[in-house]
Amino acid sequence: MSHLRVWDGRPIAASRVDLGVTIGSLKLRNPVLTGSGTFGYGDEYAHVVDLTSLGAVVTKTITVLPRSGNPAQRVAETPSGMLNSIGLENVGLVRFRDEKLPRLRQLRASVIASIGGETSEELEALTEALGEAEGLGGIEVNFSCPNVAAGGARYWAVPARLEQTMTRLRRLTRKPLIAKLSPDVTDIRETSRACEAGGADAITAVNTFVGMAIDLEQLQSRLGRATGGLSGPAIKPLALARCHEVSNAVSIPVIGSGGIMTGRDALEFIAAGATAIQVGTATFIEPGASERVVGEMREWMAAHGVSSVDRLRGRFHADAAQGTSEPAPHPEESTR
Amino acid sequence: MSASSTASKPMKRTWRQVHATVRTHESQGGDFRWLELEMPAEFAEPVAGQFAQLLLEPPSPVLLPRPMSIASVRKVRGRLLVGFLYAPVGIGTRALAALEPGSSVAVTGPLGHGYPLEEAGTPILVAGGRGVAPLLMAAETLARQRRRCEFVFGARSKALLVGLADARERLARMGSRLHIATDDGSRGHHGTVIDLLDRIAPKLEGPLVLHACGPHGMLGAVAQWAMARGERAHLAMESVMACGTGVCRGCPLPRSNASRDRVLAEGAAAHALQGNPEWAMCCTDGPVFESRELDWERVS
Repeated sequence: MSHLRVWDGRPIAASRVDLGVTIGSLKLRNPVLTGSGTFGYGDEYAHVVDLTSLGAVVTKTITVLPRSGNPAQRVAETPSGMLNSIGLENVGLVRFRDEKLPRLRQLRASVIASIGGETSEELEALTEALGEAEGLGGIEVNFSCPNVAAGGARYWAVPARLEQTMTRLRRLTRKPLIAKLSPDVTDIRETSRACEAGGADAITAVNTFVGMAIDLEQLQSRLGRATGGLSGPAIKPLALARCHEVSNAVSIPVIGSGGIMTGRDALEFIAAGATAIQVGTATFIEPGASERVVGEMREWMAAHGVSSVDRLRGRFHADAAQGTSEPAPHPEESTR
Repeated sequence: MSASSTASKPMKRTWRQVHATVRTHESQGGDFRWLELEMPAEFAEPVAGQFAQLLLEPPSPVLLPRPMSIASVRKVRGRLLVGFLYAPVGIGTRALAALEPGSSVAVTGPLGHGYPLEEAGTPILVAGGRGVAPLLMAAETLARQRRRCEFVFGARSKALLVGLADARERLARMGSRLHIATDDGSRGHHGTVIDLLDRIAPKLEGPLVLHACGPHGMLGAVAQWAMARGERAHLAMESVMACGTGVCRGCPLPRSNASRDRVLAEGAAAHALQGNPEWAMCCTDGPVFESRELDWERVS
C-alpha cells in the first residue's frame, strides 16, 4: 500500500486552478452551491453576493401550492449549531416560475430549483412544470425535510418509494435531477442507490439531522414543534461521514452538505468523495460565506499545487485510516 | 382607515455586513450596557426602529449573530456612530459585554422597517423597560425635526427605567413631556403605560400616532388601546432570529385577518412580501408593525 504524499506539487498561480465540475449535463463554474432554504430565491442576497461567482444557487424548496410554514418558534441556537422548524414555507410553483426564476435569470445566476412534495404526484407536477423552464440548470428533489407532517424525511426514507418516484420524474425532464437525502436512516447507501437506480444524476448528502432542544424551566420544546433539523458546524463530522459513505456506494456525483463554514471544510468533503458542496447555515451568519468559500478553496488548491477539483476528489486515504471507512456491515451482508 | 403601508413598501436592500469598531462600551446603570460602534462608510444610516445583527469575531461562544435594536445614530467628523442599549442576559450578550473599546464586531444592517415618524399626528412614544432603545432614537429624530412629542415610559420598577437621563435630555430640547409609570410605584405613576395614555390622550390634539417598543404583552395592550380609539400605533416587535434578512423564515409573527386579506389581494405584485398570508416575518416585514397588522391574541 503506497502512502504517497499527494500534495508534493509546487504552488501554482490561483488563476491556474480549475474549479469547474460537472453534475450530469450541468457544467458548474465551481463546486460551491447554496444550501436550499438558506439563500431564499437568490435575489435576497444579490446585492451582497455576486451570484455569478457561485457554482449554482439552490433555491428554497418550492411546493405546488404556497405554504405558510410552522408557528413560532422556528429557530433555536444549540451548541455550534441551530435547529430549525420552518416547515417548507414557500411562495408556491406559480410565483416561483413567474417571478423568482426570471429574476434569477436576470441576475445571470446558475440556478437549481429545489422541489418538495407530499406525494410522487406532487413532485411529478413540479418536475413537469419546471422540466423545460428556461434558465433553470437542474432540479434538486428534497426527499428529506424533517419539519413537515406529511411528505417529509421519514416518508421518503423508503428505498423502493424513492426509486419508483425518481423513475417517474426521470421521464419528465432532461435536466439534471439531484436527490437530497436525510441522514436519519439506517443505511444511507440504500436510499442513495435507490435514487441512482431511478435515474438521479446526483445525490446531495445530507439534509439536517433531527434534533431537539428543551427549555427545562418551561418543560417545553425551544421550537414550536417537538423536533427540528440540526445544521451548522455541529453536524459537519456526521455529514462528512455520510457523504463519504454515499460516494463509495454510488457512481453518480455526490454533493456534500452539512456544517461547511470554510474552504477547508469544503475541500474535506471533496477529499471524501464529493463533486460539489453546499454552504447553508454559514450564510445566516455571514451572507457572503459562499463566495468566500470559493476563494478559500482556490487559495488552498493553488498553495498545494492542485490544479483541478478532480485531482482532489475522493483522494482521502480511507485504506490508510485505522479501521474501516465504512460502518460495520449489516448482518446479511457479512455472510456474502 | 387605510391599511398599513409599512409592510408593503417596495424594499431596496441597503443592508451590508461590515466590521465595526467599538468606540464606547460602558455601564448604563443596573444591568444595562451602552455600546457605541464606529461604522465604515458602506453602512447606511439607520432610522429609528431598525435593528442590526451583531456577530462576535471568532472565536465566539455562540454561532449566530444577535439582533439588537438601534438606540442612537450620530455623525462625528463625518463618521457614523451607532449606539445600542442592551442587557447581558445570555451567553452571546455576556460575551459582547466583555468587548473593550478598539475591538471589532461584525455588524449586518441596518435591517427591517423603522417607525414612520413622518406620519401626520401628535407623536406619542411608548417605552417598556429596555424597549426604550429605539424610542430614544425616535425622540432624537423628532427633536432634530423640531417636533414635539409625548414620551411615556413604563417599567416594573425605577431601576429598570434605563436610559431615563438620555430620554430627558432629548425631550427637553423641544419641550416634550416625559410621563413615567412603574408597576411597583417606585417612580412616577403607580400603574401601567395604558393608565398614562388614558390620562394624557384627552389633552392632546388628534390624530395621535403611537410608536412603541417593549414586552409583547405591553405592545398588545398599546395596540388594543389605539385600535379601540381609531388611532394608529406602530409597535416594534422582538423575535428569536437566525439570519435577520428574510431568508431563513425563522421569525414568524401571526398576521391579523385584515393583514392576511391584504397580502392575498396584493398577490403577485413584485414588491409584495414573500406572500405569506398567515405569518409576517419580524425581520423584514417588521420589526415595526402597525397595530392592525398582527393578531394580538396569537402573539406570544
